[in-house]
Amino acid sequence: MAGRIPVAEGLFAETADGARLIGSRCATCGTPYFPKVDYCRHPECGASKLEDAGFGPDGTIWSCAIQDYPPPAPARFDKPYKPYAMAVVDLADGLRVLGQIKADDIRAIRPDTKVRLVVDTLCHDEAGNEVVTWKFQPVAAEESA
Amino acid sequence: MRDVAVIGLGMHPWGKFADKSVQQLCRVAVDAALKDAGVAWREIQAVAAASSRFSGGRGWGLNGNDVIDDMGMTGIPVYNLSAGCAAGGNAFNVGTMLVASGQHDMVLVVGGEKMPKGFIQTSGVEETTDPEYLRQICIGVPGPTFWAFMCRRRMADHGTTEEQLAKIAVKARKNAVHNPYARFRKETSVEEVMGSALVSYPLRLFEICPVSDGAAAVVICSAAEARKRTTTPLWVAASSVATARFDDGIPRGLAGAVPADRRAYHSEAAGAVRGAMQRAGIGPDGIDVVELQDNTVYYELSFPEEWGFCEPGEAEHLLESGQTLPTGRLPINPSGGFISFGEATTAQGLFQICELGWQLRGDAGARQVPDAKVGLAQTLGLGGNGTATILKR
Repeated sequence: MAGRIPVAEGLFAETADGARLIGSRCATCGTPYFPKVDYCRHPECGASKLEDAGFGPDGTIWSCAIQDYPPPAPARFDKPYKPYAMAVVDLADGLRVLGQIKADDIRAIRPDTKVRLVVDTLCHDEAGNEVVTWKFQPVAAEESA
Repeated sequence: MRDVAVIGLGMHPWGKFADKSVQQLCRVAVDAALKDAGVAWREIQAVAAASSRFSGGRGWGLNGNDVIDDMGMTGIPVYNLSAGCAAGGNAFNVGTMLVASGQHDMVLVVGGEKMPKGFIQTSGVEETTDPEYLRQICIGVPGPTFWAFMCRRRMADHGTTEEQLAKIAVKARKNAVHNPYARFRKETSVEEVMGSALVSYPLRLFEICPVSDGAAAVVICSAAEARKRTTTPLWVAASSVATARFDDGIPRGLAGAVPADRRAYHSEAAGAVRGAMQRAGIGPDGIDVVELQDNTVYYELSFPEEWGFCEPGEAEHLLESGQTLPTGRLPINPSGGFISFGEATTAQGLFQICELGWQLRGDAGARQVPDAKVGLAQTLGLGGNGTATILKR
């Protein structure tokens, strides 16, 4: 039976109070990492001490773009191709992260818009499964829906 | 360290050449550079070459070995340098070191490439431990989208308009009309650029560089050799290489830390350019002509600011007032730039050196920057690679 599967394992989770990206943070210098890393890479950090950390859900769009043409492999999308919006989002907890935007009117998306991390459909696989990934949804649009 | 002179410049024009091999393109460029220098192949003591992922090099980036095979195997050392789109600049840097250190007196630097059709694809590594692979399967972020992110942020910060972006492409093509080595040599208009297909909003097809085939070569040598061969050598005032800094805020992978001021800058390019200026003892006011890496028109606005050539938000004014034309206060890309050449990625850094050379010799014809004495060339490559070269006459 067709189900709902993540695009990759261990990158994100849905919790009672919203979605989270699963990464790590260095307890020594505070640097956030997504996905997880084994060692802190901050050149000025004295002692790598990584702890598991969840990031999100609140953030602000630093910048955004629209994928006006079908991206080359290995990018995944349902056919017929429909342009999608992407953003670089600054999460309140200090992570600058990329993701697609979930919105009806993608051309209305602007930098500095407040967004929330969500888990949403990326595409469908050959077996009919819904493949999900993390995305960012404008907060105002969500509230007025 | 010894002074390093540039005495030979050679290029094969940029374009799409289905019926020519990359060896044939390199042969034309190398022959032209040797002839320009008045140097025979057997006098070349070492080769520094840009490594290509796309053509020649026997799958190992051995592109310098290909050139040596083709020109005649004299037993000289070869250095194949890999730095993505910065490889040409990187090879030039290593070539200058070979001369400056006293190791060799006469060195050939070469880059040539034939590119596959379409937008440049990702590495082909299909493992979820590879951040670039994850970025593509989880989101789908081709190269031009990265440029679109940077450009859109600028529009929010400085009010840059889509018309201004189009005007940069118009200016690039206006210069390329006079450059026999450029691929796109027809003038265009703001209307035509704005009418070209959106690739990744806000960027349109005519505002990003396509892929091309091309080759360029440069002969460099010691001061003693230069004096024997020419009365008008050019000098390497500085050649600098840098990699990116951890905290520059550029969204290269899936995620990073939000920088303190939320801003982002291309630290590999800025590091190389500022490093070169410092080494040369020449500031922005002392540079007469700039060849910068305009993979997209956006870079013509951001780079001069990131390097201290103008104030943040001032670049649009320089453009609108004609100051970036060959006759302006800060001439940028009189060659026509990547926008007019397209990108034969690993050869780009050397076409820039050739263009600076012609500009400083006063041989640039109708695209000549009047009385250019000092020029700056800059590249930026995948992996956070940056290079900069300052030439003077």
